[in-house]
Amino acid sequence: MIPMKSFLPLAACALLASRALAAEDALVTTAWTEENLNNDDVRVVEVSVEPGVYERGHIPGAAHVRWHTDLVDTVRRDIVSREEFEALASRLGITPETTVLLYGDKNNWFAAWAAWVFTLYGHDDVRLIDGGRGKWEAEGRPLSQRPFRARPTEYEVTEVREELRAALPEVVAVAEGDREGQLVDIRSSDEYSGRIIAPAGVAELAVRAGHVPGAVNVPWGRAVDPETGTFLPEEELRALYAAEGIDGSEPVITYCRIGERSSHTWFALHHLLGYDVANYDGSWTEYGNSVGVPIENPSGSVWTGQ
Amino acid sequence: MTPRSSSSRQRWAALLPVAALAAGALWLSGPSAPAIPDALFVLAMGTALGVVLQRSRFCFFCMLRDYFEERDGRGLLGILAALAVGSLGYLVIFGAWLPDPSGRYLPAGAHIGPVSWVLAAGGLLFGWGMALSGSCISAHLYRLGEGSVLAPVALLGTVAGFGLGFLLWNRLYLLALHDAPTVWLPDHLGYGGSLGLQFLVLAGLFFLVRRRRPGPEATVEPGTSPAGDSLFHRVFLRRWSAWVGGIAVGWLGTMLYLRVEPLGVTAQVGSLARRATDAAGLLPERLNGLDGFPGCATAVGESLLRANGLLVVGLVGGAFVASLLAGQFQPERKHPLAFAAALLGGVLLGLGAMLSLGCTVGTLLSGISAFALSGWIFAASMTLGVATGLALRRRLFFWD
Repeated sequence: MIPMKSFLPLAACALLASRALAAEDALVTTAWTEENLNNDDVRVVEVSVEPGVYERGHIPGAAHVRWHTDLVDTVRRDIVSREEFEALASRLGITPETTVLLYGDKNNWFAAWAAWVFTLYGHDDVRLIDGGRGKWEAEGRPLSQRPFRARPTEYEVTEVREELRAALPEVVAVAEGDREGQLVDIRSSDEYSGRIIAPAGVAELAVRAGHVPGAVNVPWGRAVDPETGTFLPEEELRALYAAEGIDGSEPVITYCRIGERSSHTWFALHHLLGYDVANYDGSWTEYGNSVGVPIENPSGSVWTGQ
Repeated sequence: MTPRSSSSRQRWAALLPVAALAAGALWLSGPSAPAIPDALFVLAMGTALGVVLQRSRFCFFCMLRDYFEERDGRGLLGILAALAVGSLGYLVIFGAWLPDPSGRYLPAGAHIGPVSWVLAAGGLLFGWGMALSGSCISAHLYRLGEGSVLAPVALLGTVAGFGLGFLLWNRLYLLALHDAPTVWLPDHLGYGGSLGLQFLVLAGLFFLVRRRRPGPEATVEPGTSPAGDSLFHRVFLRRWSAWVGGIAVGWLGTMLYLRVEPLGVTAQVGSLARRATDAAGLLPERLNGLDGFPGCATAVGESLLRANGLLVVGLVGGAFVASLLAGQFQPERKHPLAFAAALLGGVLLGLGAMLSLGCTVGTLLSGISAFALSGWIFAASMTLGVATGLALRRRLFFWD
């Protein structure tokens, strides 16, 4: 009889192989996620914006983060504070070594916002489940209604990467040519051109239409496969942005209306292509309301005061 | 024609709504179906609800009137049963969705509304509307399936009442609603304490309503053979006890909350009214804060038909099937003034439901099941409205 012991290294090897995840894989597949639901080094977190979506069925073992209250400051217009983020991460039971897998509804937009906030607060090992909730459901993978339970940790933020966030003065400086950088407007071409201020069904929260001078328009949806919602292969992504002059040679700033869809593009540029990129979360609802900043409005729509 | 042959013809006619519901189900599973999640499930639950409401005569107004005028509390036991089953069911769901109730969150989508005098006024108006029109909104819906001639008029009034509510909304929001507290009992008492308190109140109400006039148990519907004791008779001809209906309603409400949204019957009516007033150019540009409140009276769906619409379609269809099987599809001739009362009552129902963000089903049943103080406030003020409205009805309704 072969002693049991001799199997152990083999078993450990197999275990490692199934759990191995290269550090550069900022995207994981739904299949990989399903295989790793019991992996202690991994924490799956759902960030869906629609209330009740997580509760009525989530990826088994996934924790829940609410974009409206957990990732933003509910009084000031700001992202969640450092202390609040530490409390949140502690509730999720993660440590700085945990691999955080994010997914959510609405094309992973809000999960991408979470990925941006996690990265901003120095948690580098953060990945998106490619295709998000939509793909998981479409593939008929299991959902659970069991509550999330984890031993809380004492998470400490050791580094805040402010350079990943752009503020209005920087954006204006880039627009006026006083600062090196490129701007990517990821809204629809109608919003970009100034024909409309906001997409249908969304409040017009800006008093001017158009875009930041010099910004190129690459709607977020062009970075994904329209069928599955998964990101395009790296080479296609690189070509997509290069065609608009965004090749990583200069720092990039992404923006949209409130900064959540642009997190999606920020994720592609930062985590998938490795460019130097900041997300401008003030976005058009701040810029389009600011006094004295330059605006390009190719559609020629002008304020009529009505 | 003997009543018997007429009722057996009705029984066969039940195949028509069954076929219509089946066709609807086929459409919902086909390629041109509207993008409503769990559409088939909602339609099925609505149909079951319609059958239950019709079979057990689950009409809040009739139950209250039996109690106030006949001292017969059997109907009200149905409501208490629904609340008891609903509370237990919601507790099971809450325990999974929100293990810690004392935190910063409310359970997703539950009908926990703001508590203010507007809610109490809404309940009172709703109670008057019930007394004038002869039912609450859910009962008017199931009575559509019984061929009631007053129900369509009352429901038309309800749509108008909702419109009226939208016109008043902004003023009331600034007066009272913007800082009205949203009181969720488990936030203060925990789950155990809330369940204990709620069951204590339900037990107290049980002892209050059980003193009923001794009388024969509900026997046989008119027009059916008293000899029938087959299962068919028991299920499809004889009226179910209200408490049986109540248990079923509580269970259906729990299942719907678990899978889709809390049970309610006015969201579709409300969104139609909002569309209509908007199309007529009457709606203010903004309804302050309305879409931020949970409840059934709010948000216009992006599409015309929403999950709640399917529930209502199923409800009417199920009640139609049940009433045909029981030979209870009986349109009646009514005094012209009865139509006027139904219309006016309907307006009060709509206005009351809009101000309370729901009706006897959404705010009362689903709200109390969710341990919302707003549900209890609405229940109390609605009951007061029915009690005072009944007195008015006795004086005015000479045709009754």
